[in-house]
Amino acid sequence: MFEKIIENQDKPKYNVIGKPKPRHDAWEKALGKTRYADDFTQPGMLYAKVLRSEYAAANLISIDTGEAEKLPGVEAVLTAKDVPKNETVTKFGQTHEVGGFEGFYRVLADKKIRFKGEAVALVAAETPAIAEQALKLIKVEYEPTEGVYDPIEALKPDAYLVGEKETNLICSYKVIKGDIEKGFEESDLIVENTYKTQMVDHAYLEPESGVAWIDESGIIVIRASTQVIEHFRGIADVLNIPSNKVRVIAPMVGGGFGGKEDITVETFIALLAMKTERPVSLTFTREESILAHGKRHPYVMQYKVGVKNDGKLVALEAKLISDAGGYIYLSPWILMYSTVTAAGPYDYTHVKVDTHSVLTNNTFASANRGFGGVQPCFAYESMLDEVAERLGMSPLELRKKNYLHTGDALVTGRVLEHAVETEQTAEKALAALGEPSKPKSSSHKVGQGFASGMLSYGRMCFLHDTSRSYVSIELDGSVIVRCGVQDIGCGQCSSLAQIAAEVLGVPMEEITVYFGDTALTPLAGTTTATRQLYMSGNATLKAARAIRDTILKKSGEILGITPERLELRDKRIYIKKGPQCTTSYGGSRGDIISSEICVDINQDRYLDLVAVVKACAADGLSLSNLAQFNAPARELVDFTTGQGQVFTDFTYGTHALEVSVDTETGDVEILKYISCYDVGQAINPLSAEGQMEGGAIYGLGQGMCEDVILEKGITKTPTFAEYLIPTSMDAPDITSILVESGGGVGPFGAKGIGEPSCVPSSPAFTNAVSNAIGVRFYDLPVTAEKIMRALGKI
Amino acid sequence: MNNMEFLKPASLEDLFQMTKAHKDEVTFIAGGTNLIPQMERGVESPSLIIDVSDLQEMSTITENGNIISIGGSVTIADIAADSIIKTCAPVLADAALQLGNPLTRNRATIGGNLADASPCADTAPPLMTLEATVHIADVDGNIKDVPISKFYLDYRFTALGRGDVITKISFQKQGKSQKGNFSKIGLRKGSAISVINMAILLDFDHDTCKQARIAMGSIAATPIRIYKVEELLEGKKINDALIEECGELVKTEISPITDIRGSAEYRTAVAATLLKRNIKKAIL
Amino acid sequence: MKTYPVKIKVNGKWKEAAVTARDTLLDVLRKKWLAYEVKNGCSEGDCGACTVNLNGKTVNACLVLALQANGKEVTTLKGIGTEQNPHPIQKAFVEKGGIQCGFCSPGMIMSSKALLDKNPVASRSEIREGLSGNLCRCTGYHKIVDAVEHVAKNNQS
Ligand SMILES: Cc1cc2nc3c(=O)[nH]c(=O)nc-3n(C[C@H](O)[C@H](O)[C@H](O)COP(=O)(O)OP(=O)(O)OC[C@H]3O[C@@H](n4cnc5c(N)ncnc54)[C@H](O)[C@@H]3O)c2cc1C
Ligand code: FES
Ligand code: FES
Repeated sequence: MFEKIIENQDKPKYNVIGKPKPRHDAWEKALGKTRYADDFTQPGMLYAKVLRSEYAAANLISIDTGEAEKLPGVEAVLTAKDVPKNETVTKFGQTHEVGGFEGFYRVLADKKIRFKGEAVALVAAETPAIAEQALKLIKVEYEPTEGVYDPIEALKPDAYLVGEKETNLICSYKVIKGDIEKGFEESDLIVENTYKTQMVDHAYLEPESGVAWIDESGIIVIRASTQVIEHFRGIADVLNIPSNKVRVIAPMVGGGFGGKEDITVETFIALLAMKTERPVSLTFTREESILAHGKRHPYVMQYKVGVKNDGKLVALEAKLISDAGGYIYLSPWILMYSTVTAAGPYDYTHVKVDTHSVLTNNTFASANRGFGGVQPCFAYESMLDEVAERLGMSPLELRKKNYLHTGDALVTGRVLEHAVETEQTAEKALAALGEPSKPKSSSHKVGQGFASGMLSYGRMCFLHDTSRSYVSIELDGSVIVRCGVQDIGCGQCSSLAQIAAEVLGVPMEEITVYFGDTALTPLAGTTTATRQLYMSGNATLKAARAIRDTILKKSGEILGITPERLELRDKRIYIKKGPQCTTSYGGSRGDIISSEICVDINQDRYLDLVAVVKACAADGLSLSNLAQFNAPARELVDFTTGQGQVFTDFTYGTHALEVSVDTETGDVEILKYISCYDVGQAINPLSAEGQMEGGAIYGLGQGMCEDVILEKGITKTPTFAEYLIPTSMDAPDITSILVESGGGVGPFGAKGIGEPSCVPSSPAFTNAVSNAIGVRFYDLPVTAEKIMRALGKI
Repeated sequence: MNNMEFLKPASLEDLFQMTKAHKDEVTFIAGGTNLIPQMERGVESPSLIIDVSDLQEMSTITENGNIISIGGSVTIADIAADSIIKTCAPVLADAALQLGNPLTRNRATIGGNLADASPCADTAPPLMTLEATVHIADVDGNIKDVPISKFYLDYRFTALGRGDVITKISFQKQGKSQKGNFSKIGLRKGSAISVINMAILLDFDHDTCKQARIAMGSIAATPIRIYKVEELLEGKKINDALIEECGELVKTEISPITDIRGSAEYRTAVAATLLKRNIKKAIL
Repeated sequence: MKTYPVKIKVNGKWKEAAVTARDTLLDVLRKKWLAYEVKNGCSEGDCGACTVNLNGKTVNACLVLALQANGKEVTTLKGIGTEQNPHPIQKAFVEKGGIQCGFCSPGMIMSSKALLDKNPVASRSEIREGLSGNLCRCTGYHKIVDAVEHVAKNNQS
C-alpha cells in the first residue's frame, strides 16, 4: 500500500521545517568530538591487512601462507578456503525477491583473479607493521592471463572470459515505445553520436574502515563506515551463522556517495574476529580504497536522435554499454536506472533503448552518486545542444518544446503524476546566468551552457522498500528518535530531528537521534538511492504524529475541546486562533483544569507540553511509537519493452554555467555556476543548498578533471596525487536556486536532492565549453589538453 | 619490519660526523614532503634517516652585497614571504608561492626540491634563470660549488654524491633592468604539480634585450635552459614577430614525454604559449 | 624494532611516547595519544585531513616524522576551541553550513585559522587559496568559504 503523507496543498506554515538550521551534528564535528570508524579501539585489538592481487587477470594457482603464519605476532591468515560462503551476492533491504538483481562477488579471490587489487588473503596481527610484514611472506602463484579491458571487446563471441560463465554479459534491458523506424522516417533531422564517460572514484575523505569483535553474548559486532547496516544479513550468510548473530553499527560516516553501499571491510574483519576471538580493526589505505572499492561505471553510449524542423523530438535510439569491471555487484540495478532515464526529462514519440552491462578485468564498478543517471545525462544533454545548433535554435527553445510536465508519460509509459518542474528550473537557472561577460583577452572565449537532468529518489518500486522509525517523548519533554539510518554526512539524522521537532513542537536541540545500529535502532534501510529523507523521514513523521495525536487528545480532554483545535509548538499546546477560539470554552481556565497545568500569559492560552506528557504517562498512554513507511509496491517491469513503473518519483533540475576558455592553453575558468532544483519542500534550506553545491562540484569533477586511468586493468592513478578531485581553487562559487513545488512524496512534500544534485554537472560544463569554442565533446573528462586538441592546436 | 634509524644533528659539524660514519646508508629528510610519500608507497625504504630540517646553519636567508644565499633547509613558505627574495629575486618568490599548497609550503624546503631531482620541481627554473650556485658539502665537510646548470645530470640524477648535502643555494640579485616571471600549468588550479613550468629573466638596455635566460621544467629529463631561444632574443628589440618566432623555436628545443599528466604534444604547445606570454609580461 | 622516546607538547600538555623512526606525527597523535580529532585521509600529504599546527605553522601531520616533532608544540582542533568557548571559526562553520560529513572539518578549520591569523580580512579568493591543501568532497567548498569569509568580515568591522 502506498502512503502519501503530504500536508494540505496550499503551502502550510511550519515552525522548524523550511528554516535554514545549523545541523544538529555540526557542533560535535566542529569541535572534533565525532568518533568515526577508525577513531575507535577495543582492548586486545588486532590489526588486519589485505593481500591484493598484482594482476588484473590471472589464474590463481596456489597460496602458501605457512611462513606468514609462523611470524611472531601473526594471529590469523585467511584465504578463500577459510570463508564459509565465499561466493555471495550483494542484496539488501528489499522485502521482495527479484530475479536478476543479485550482485555476484567473491569475498576472497578464488580460481580466477578478476581485477587488480582483488583481495587474495587476510592477515590479523598484533601491530599493523607485523601484518604488513606477514603479507610479504605469503607466497601466491599466479598464472597471468590475457584478460579483457574493453567492454565492447568483452562482448565479442571469442572474448576472454572474466569469470567462470560462458559470457561476459551480465544483463540487458530494453525500452520500446512506438515504432523507432517510423520515428526516423518522420524526422527532418537525424543526429547520431557516440559518447563515452570515464571511471570515477568517490574520493570520500574517510577511507573504508571498521572494527569487529565478539560481544559477551557471542554476537559478532561490526562497527564500520557503511551506508548499509542491513548488510548484517549478507555478512551472516558469508560467515554461515544466523542473521541474528551479527550486529552492525554505523557511526558517523566520513562520506559515502555510494562507495560504501557495498560491503567493504565488514566481512574481512568479521572473519578474522571469529578466527582469532579478538577484536580486529582494518582501515584501507587511500591506495586500497582507489584500487578495491566499486567505481562509477564507464559507459559507451550510442545515441541517434530524430527531430522535426520545428524542434519536436520524434525518435530516440540509444545503446548503452556499461563496463562493470571484475564482478557484478550493483551493475544490474545501475543499468536499470540508466535505461529508465536514457531519454532524460524529455518527450519522444518513438523510443528504442538497449542497455547492456559487461564484465571486464577492470576495477569493478558499483554505486556512485547519481547511480546510472549521470552517464546518460552527459549523452542526452550533449546531444540536444548539438541538435539545437543544427536546427539553428537556442538550446532552451529546443528543450522547452520537449520537456516533460506533470501528467505526461515517461518513455517507459509511466505517467508522472507528481510535480515535474524541469522547465521552470531551466528558466530560472538561465535567468540567473544573465548575459555573458566580456572575454578578458583576445585569446579567451566566453561561453554559456546548461543541462537539465532527472533522477529518482527512493528505490525501484518492485523492491517493495520499507523503513521504520521509533519516536518517543520523555517525561522531561526531551525527544528520542531511534532510526536505523546511516548518516553519511548529508544530514540524515539532522533532518529526522527537524521533522520530529516540527511535529512535536520541541526545539531541535532537545532531540536525540540514535541511528545506525541493527541491535538498537529499527531498520530503516540503506542510506542510498536518495531514499532516507523520503522513506525514514516519512516513517519518523508518522511516528511523531502518532505521539502528537496522543498529546493533543489528552490536551483536548483537559481543555474540554476537540484536539483539531489545538496546536503543538514551542513545547506548549496552544488553542489555534480562529473565529470561535475566544468563546468556545467558556469560563476561566480554572474552571476546567487544574492550575498547575494551565498557564496564561498575555492572553495567549496554552498548556505546558511537559505537564501534558506527565498527564499522559500517569494515564498509561503510550508516549512512543514505532512506525513503518512503505514505498509504493509495484510489479516488476516488462524487461522486453521496459514498460511499467520503476520509480515512485523523480527530482528534476538544471545546472547552468558560464566559462572562460583560454584557447592557447585549454585552461577553463568557471565564471558562474547556477544550480536550480525543484526540491519539493526544503526541510532545511541550508542543507538542501549544501547538497546542491556539493553535488554540483562532485559532478563537475567528472566533467573537468577526474579520471581513474587504467592500462590493461592496472590503475595508474592510485593516490590523491594522481586522482585529482577539485580543490577549493578549482570549485567556483555556486548560486543555488530552490524551487518548492510541494509536490514530492517525501515528508511535507519534499523530494530527495542528494544524488540528483550531481547529475547534470558534466554536460552543463561541456556544453558551456563547447559554446565558447564552437567544438563539441564526446568523452569525459574535458581537460585542458582535450580542449587544445578540439581546437586543433595539437 | 621497519628497522629504520633516525639521527638529528645539532650542527653542521655534527652532521658531517654522522654522514661520515654512515655514508652508504644515509638518506636526508628535510620537509619530508617527497620522502614520506615515497616511503609510504614503498619506493624508498631507507635504513637511516638524518633530519636536516632544523639545522640552524642551513635555515637562513642572507644578503651579502649583491649575493643572496638561501640555506638548504629554508622552507618554500619562508622563501615566498621573505622580503629580500620578494624584492631581489621576485622570479623565485613567484615560483615559491605557486608550489603545492600552504601546508606543503610550510614544510617543503628548497634543498629537498632540488635534491629530489624531479623534472617538474618548481624552484629549478627560477634558480636556473638566476644562474644560482648549489653549495654541496661532502661527508668531510668539503664544499663544492656547483652551478645549477651542472647540478642536474639526468632523469632523477644529480651531482649529489652519497652523503652529500645541499647546504645553501646562492645567486646574484635580480638587477633593476632585469625583468622576469614564473608560470606553471597543472591539471588543476589548487595544489597542482606542474605539467610544465617556466621561468624567464630578461635584461634590457632601453628596449634591447641584452641578456635572456629561459628555463623550463617537465619538458625533458631534467629542468633545462632553452639556450637557442635566449640567443634569438639577445641583442634584439622585442616585437610581436620575434615573440612568435620564439614560440616556434621553443617547440624544437624541448623533448617532453607523454605521461598520465599530459602528452608530449600538449606540453609542446603550451610551452610555446607560456613562453610567449611570459616574454610579453616581461616587456610590459 | 628500534624505538625512540619523543616528547611533544600537545594542546599545552607535554606528552611522551616511544616511536619508531618511521612513525609520523599523525601516527603518534592518533594511535598513542588518541587525538582522534586529527584525521587520516591519505597518509601522503594530498588531502589535508591531518592538518595540525606545529610550532606556529600548519602542516600535514602525515608528512612530519614523529621524531622531527620531538620537543615541539602541536595544536590540534581541540586546542583552539571548546564547547564552552568555541573559536569563532568553529561557530561560523556550524552556522554557515560548512560541515557535512565533517571528516575534512578539523583540517579545514585549522587551515582557516592559520589563514585568518595571517590575513584577518582575507577575501574569498584568498580564502580559496589558503584552503587549497584541504580537500572536501561533500560541500563543494562554497559554504566553507562563506564561513571563513563571515569571520573575516567580522574582523574587518
Ligand atoms: C601535496 C604536495 C604538493 C606538491 N606540490 C609541488 C609543487 O607544486 N611543485 C614542486 O616542485 N613540488 C611539489 N611537491 C613536492 C615537494 O613538496 C617539493 O619537492 C619539496 O620542495 C621537497 O622538499 P622537502 O624538504 O619536503 O624534501 P624531503 O622529502 O625532505 O626530501 C626530498 C629528497 O631530497 C633529499 N634532501 C632533502 N634535503 C636535502 C639537502 N639539504 N641536501 C641533500 N639532499 C636533501 C632527501 O634525502 C630526499 O631524497 C608537492 C608535494 C606534495 C606532498
Ligand atoms: S592524511 Fe595527511 S594529508 Fe591526507
Ligand atoms: S564535509 Fe565531508 S569532506 Fe568535507
